[in-house]
Amino acid sequence: MTKFKDVFVIDDDQIFHFIIRKLFAKNNIEVNPSFYLNGLEAIEEIQEKITHGLDLPDLILLDINMPIMDGWQFLDEFRKTRKRKPDEKTIIYLVSSSDSQSDINKAKEYQDQVKDYLFKPMTLDDLKKIF
Amino acid sequence: METYYPDLKSLEEKNRFYKKLLFQSPDLIFQFTISNSGKLSFSFLSKSVVTHFNLTSEEKNEDAFFVLKRKIIPDDFNAFLLSIHHCKNLLTPWTHEFRAMLPGKGLRWYKGIATVESTEDGDVDFYGKITDITQYKEQELRLKLSEERFQFALEASSEGIWDYDVKSQKVFYSSQSMKMLEFEEEDTIDSIDKWDDRVHSEDKERYLTDIRRHIDNTTPYYENAQRVLTKSGEYKWILSRGKIIERDTNGNPLRIIGTHTDISAQKEKEQELIKTVEIIGAQNSRLLNFAHIVSHNLRSHSGNIGMLLNMIADENDAAFIEESFAHLRSSSNALSQTIDHLKELVEIQTELIHKKENLHLNTYLNKTLNILAEEISKNKVVIKNLIPKEETITFNPAYLESVLLNFTSNAIRYSHPDRTPVISYSLSASQTQKILEIKDNGLGINLERHGKKLFGMYKTFHKHQDSRGIGLFITKNQIEAMGGSVQVNSQVGVGTTFKIYFND
Repeated sequence: MTKFKDVFVIDDDQIFHFIIRKLFAKNNIEVNPSFYLNGLEAIEEIQEKITHGLDLPDLILLDINMPIMDGWQFLDEFRKTRKRKPDEKTIIYLVSSSDSQSDINKAKEYQDQVKDYLFKPMTLDDLKKIF
Repeated sequence: METYYPDLKSLEEKNRFYKKLLFQSPDLIFQFTISNSGKLSFSFLSKSVVTHFNLTSEEKNEDAFFVLKRKIIPDDFNAFLLSIHHCKNLLTPWTHEFRAMLPGKGLRWYKGIATVESTEDGDVDFYGKITDITQYKEQELRLKLSEERFQFALEASSEGIWDYDVKSQKVFYSSQSMKMLEFEEEDTIDSIDKWDDRVHSEDKERYLTDIRRHIDNTTPYYENAQRVLTKSGEYKWILSRGKIIERDTNGNPLRIIGTHTDISAQKEKEQELIKTVEIIGAQNSRLLNFAHIVSHNLRSHSGNIGMLLNMIADENDAAFIEESFAHLRSSSNALSQTIDHLKELVEIQTELIHKKENLHLNTYLNKTLNILAEEISKNKVVIKNLIPKEETITFNPAYLESVLLNFTSNAIRYSHPDRTPVISYSLSASQTQKILEIKDNGLGINLERHGKKLFGMYKTFHKHQDSRGIGLFITKNQIEAMGGSVQVNSQVGVGTTFKIYFND
């Protein structure tokens, strides 16, 4: 049921990694997920991929509140980085426990990069929407 | 030419001229004589004198002593007699002021002047005139009264007066102005530079601009609040106000007069208020931030718990269930820790009366080091305690324990892996505060990146059990609840210094 191959999950919560992995397996979502604990780890991997001429991930599930580099900072960095690969399309979903209005408003400022804002915990409906 | 005489030919002509001049002149002209025997008599009175003093023809021939005694008020009569006898004896010109009571005119002030000459017979003649100076005297009296009133108002209001003569660059300062600067309490004239040099460097530009704006007629008067250095070396807030009262034909000021008011007490209160508002504002925004974080973390942990439970429910794989349980446990722990933090913070914010005590700082530090003894020895931490033995601070005991524990455990946790961790404690004092410095040579914090969020619980989002942010957040709130503040200095790879300001 998947249209995506390479999926990046960027979240500092390792329990979330565990849950996502299980959700993918249980719902027969055959993807190749990579897990990162913060934005910096992920952006370094993406830069590495570009340097070696590899494809960017098709899908990114991005947390907002993370140490070292948060979701917003990642989006700023990713906007700069992806210019080097203008023909690639990466779909990004924000996945956060934050229901603060300021985060929801801020997501709107990034709507050229972000497809949707999903609240944790993720539901099966959310998964169906994405895949 | 000493005197101008009209060209008169005959003696008769001359006589007529002088007679007219003397009798018709509106001035009160007289001649009186004190004879050898001491008798006073009028030898000549102009028509104006007779009319002015209402003299009858009998009075003109009467002994002048009695006439004068009737006209001059009793309080002034003796002084009048003394003055004419004094001039008679010394033959010096006569000048005297006296009062007379006249029917229809009331009490009037007069000034008499005369030249004094002696005759061959030993008589002494007074030639002169009398001027009614009542109006002038009344003005003088009014001026004196208003000056007294002004002086009293100044003394009562404790305002200082300054009067700046622009040409000479000299300023008159009243005794009250000098008193404000703690100098001897007397009126002083000084150069303008002396005051200007005492104005605080941060206030000088504004002060000169405010004067300039009044000189340029932009403002109707000059007003500036400035810090001025007193004799003892302290600054006082002084409100200086003034107005140009004289300009030259080109519009340049010649004289500026103004007042000084000591507003130090007001300013102090103002500053306190600003500081309080700032602290409350910061506390409020941190609380708001905290509310978001708590809501975020509660959702995050409870969401995880819910998901894990759902997954366990329809799962048979024992290994998976076991792993899920481990995650459940840590989610549950994280959840209760979040609730503990929330409780701790609510306690700080709601406890209206924070108990303050005088605490022996070294006792509390040693207690902290004992609690952390295991960590200290495991990490081979060198502790340098430079706090003087007997030092005390006024603080809440539970908060002091929490503050010391937090900063010390952070310093150990974030020590640099390549060198022996050194934590040093020292205490310094300003006039109103004691400053505890806790310095480490650890990893350091990138303040440019994290500075703003350091106490704002940024790291709380770090889902590690031992996140630095929540601890610092709580610590900062405890310090501020006690009226203190905390500052951080740090360099990545070099170390971090926290300064805690205790209000004593």
